[in-house]
Amino acid sequence: MASSLLASRSRAALRKPTDRGPIREFLAISLAGQLYGVELIQVQEILSPPPLTIVPRAQRYVLGVCSVRGQLVTVVELKRLMRLAEGGAVRRARILLSICSGEVVGFFVDEVRQVLRLSESEIEPSASALGGEAPEHVIGIGRPGGGEVLILLDLERTLSR
Amino acid sequence: MVESGDKVREDFFSEAQEIVETLSRNLLKLDDAHRTKRSDPGLVNEAFRAVHTLKGLSSLFGAQTMGNVAHHLEDILDDLRLGRVPLDDRVVDVLFRAVEVFNELLASEKSASPPPSQAVEALLARIRQIGAPEGPVAATGPIEYDLDVGMLAVLTEYEEHRLRTNIEQGNRLYRLRVRFDLVTIDKALEEIKESAKKFGEIITYLPTGDAGSADTIELDLLMASMADVPTLNRELGAENVIVEEIPRIGGAAIKAETAEAAERIVNAEVLEQGMSLVPNAQRELVSGRDKDTVSLRSVSQTVRVDIRRLDHLMNIVGELAIVRGTLAKVSERVRGEGQRSLAMELQRLHRTFERRLAEMQAGILEVRMVPLGQVFERLARVVRQISREVHKEIRLVITGSETEIDKLIVEELSDPLMHMIRNAIDHGIEVADKRAQVGKPPIGTIALNAFQKGNHVMLEVEDDGRGIDETAVLDRAIRLGKVSPEEARELTRLEVLSLIFLPGVSTRDSVDDLGGRGVGMDVVKNNISKLGGVIDVHSETGIGTKIAITLPITLAIVSALLMRASDQTFALPLSSVSEAIPFDGSVVRNIDGHSVMSLRGTTLPICRLDEMFGLERTTGIPRRQFAVVASLGARRLGLVVDQLVGEQDIVIKPLGRSLRDVRGFAGATELGDERVGLVLDAAAIIEEVLAGTESALRGARLGYG
Repeated sequence: MASSLLASRSRAALRKPTDRGPIREFLAISLAGQLYGVELIQVQEILSPPPLTIVPRAQRYVLGVCSVRGQLVTVVELKRLMRLAEGGAVRRARILLSICSGEVVGFFVDEVRQVLRLSESEIEPSASALGGEAPEHVIGIGRPGGGEVLILLDLERTLSR
Repeated sequence: MVESGDKVREDFFSEAQEIVETLSRNLLKLDDAHRTKRSDPGLVNEAFRAVHTLKGLSSLFGAQTMGNVAHHLEDILDDLRLGRVPLDDRVVDVLFRAVEVFNELLASEKSASPPPSQAVEALLARIRQIGAPEGPVAATGPIEYDLDVGMLAVLTEYEEHRLRTNIEQGNRLYRLRVRFDLVTIDKALEEIKESAKKFGEIITYLPTGDAGSADTIELDLLMASMADVPTLNRELGAENVIVEEIPRIGGAAIKAETAEAAERIVNAEVLEQGMSLVPNAQRELVSGRDKDTVSLRSVSQTVRVDIRRLDHLMNIVGELAIVRGTLAKVSERVRGEGQRSLAMELQRLHRTFERRLAEMQAGILEVRMVPLGQVFERLARVVRQISREVHKEIRLVITGSETEIDKLIVEELSDPLMHMIRNAIDHGIEVADKRAQVGKPPIGTIALNAFQKGNHVMLEVEDDGRGIDETAVLDRAIRLGKVSPEEARELTRLEVLSLIFLPGVSTRDSVDDLGGRGVGMDVVKNNISKLGGVIDVHSETGIGTKIAITLPITLAIVSALLMRASDQTFALPLSSVSEAIPFDGSVVRNIDGHSVMSLRGTTLPICRLDEMFGLERTTGIPRRQFAVVASLGARRLGLVVDQLVGEQDIVIKPLGRSLRDVRGFAGATELGDERVGLVLDAAAIIEEVLAGTESALRGARLGYG
């Protein structure tokens, strides 16, 4: 099961601190062509999008509801939540399940790339990277050694805006 | 306004008061028995139970001091009933003193004043003095009777003590085999216990495991008595009662090891046999046990189950229903591929599965059902309490307390019902003088009726008071700006009465009426709506008021009509569907932007589901459409949809928090094709659509009346 696999990975990370500070694991996702990171502990499960039922009158960012093994899940479009450009291919789209204020919410993303292990020194806090202007849901900027720069998100905060 | 916290506290006080009163009555009887040198073990046991309940109640409500006193008192009473402490004047005095202290404690808790700590301390000191058992500890020798193993194994400590005491007193033991009707068992058992009292004592009873028929149960009653079999047969015997003496066994002492071995066998047997203890199957000589021995005594016939577990089971049933659907599709496909015999086999399997699943669903639903009597008893106490507070004499007439309804609904009902009863007493029933003036009996009557009607339970609260003053209600509604004076003139009587369900408008008839008492009927209505119920009011000036509530029997599963509009499937609970009719767009008329049509001579407001929800159409509007008439109390609305799919039992799941602002849906449900369907909230939709339409209709009444 994906979720238990993710959980054991993050435990492994906690056991192996390096000399550059404790390691945090992020799921690298792509939204409108830009790379973002979501901390693994926030992700319960990754799904291929099931058929969604549209909920009329809901906020624009709500794509619909679906059932995951008997549990009703509200699926939101992360790009819309963050006011990013929409569209693009949906072939690789995935839904990240996360618990936000007690509710299971599915976050629709364009693509899930890989799991990145970032040490404290590779994470630039949003305050210093973006100044006071940083939106609340941005935790910081990840700069993995030699890799692509990614914006680190707090999923729960994207919803509570 | 009575806050819910206050209500809980009030409940606690009335409950605790009741227990203390019972205890006090009990002690009087006990004292009487003690003085006349009679012994009635039942009384001590009842007192013990009362104090035990009080202890539990106190800890539940954080009344620590009271809980502490009850705890110590319980210990004494336990010693007393187990014969560890003899009943003497000293003990009786302490017990009486305890009742006084309980009353003082209740008074101080109620007025939030400091507890009478001195009195409590003094009482606890006296209890401690008695505390140490001085009498001989109950005998633990073997019971030399040919008793059923199963029965011995499940004796409680108290019952075992009573058994030994009776044997010591030279009483003989009898087995009464009685067949009870399941419906009346409680009463019948009480009756037989009562009539047995004259000759001895019923020590315990146990089902024989012989089911007989589905609606009877056979119990073995263990009785100790001085009387002989003919006497008992004459006095207690009946068609359904067989009296049999339990023979004594030639009293051979057994060695310790054998006794232990025997006990192990007994325990193992009880474990294996579980509840269906086969009578006479194997009789073992069972030794008495030390008090410390762990035994398997608590074999009970009932279990308490968290309702969430039942919900969980119900969810599984819902998922199995989806499996059933898939199974049906597979068997269709197999038949399509020409494998007839395999298809038939699958079909049979599917039917069996379907039947069993339905039984399982019904079984789980049945477990959730509880009689309304639970709430009614509480309400009876409230009536007594309030009527005393406001100095009005009131007779409460309850009918249908055996009517069963979902446990969850029962829990949510007690608040609204209490508010309604409170209103009836405060504002409905007149004071005795006024009643006399209009020729009514001085004692007011409140009727609480419940009965089942199809898949619904009807509840009525009816009083013979002064009725609702329509003019006052209307005045108030106008003052609050709920209706304009022009609109007010157009309202029918029923519409005026319905105004009491708006916030701020109350059943209060004058401003000088007891302020702050009247609980808003809007709150009551909201609570009932949340349960999927409908509330209606009828009132005649000078004669009385009747408030009727219609509730679904269960919340767990509802029958719903599935329908499609613009390629999306919606479910509407059948409880709010009155009919579905073919719909032809040409009959629609438009009044001030609101659509209506005529249905058998009456005006039916209509609403196109696709327009209301802004659904996108991929294809044009089909030529044939349907109007599903949703009704809520007296209000009706035609919902126009493209297609009727059929009926289905559904489990409604609430939408998540992030969708809490979305109006019009009661939740969602799994439809079986991996898809989720939205469940319409008929009440909200009717409310929303009619809010605008009704006033428009009034303006055009001449044309459509």
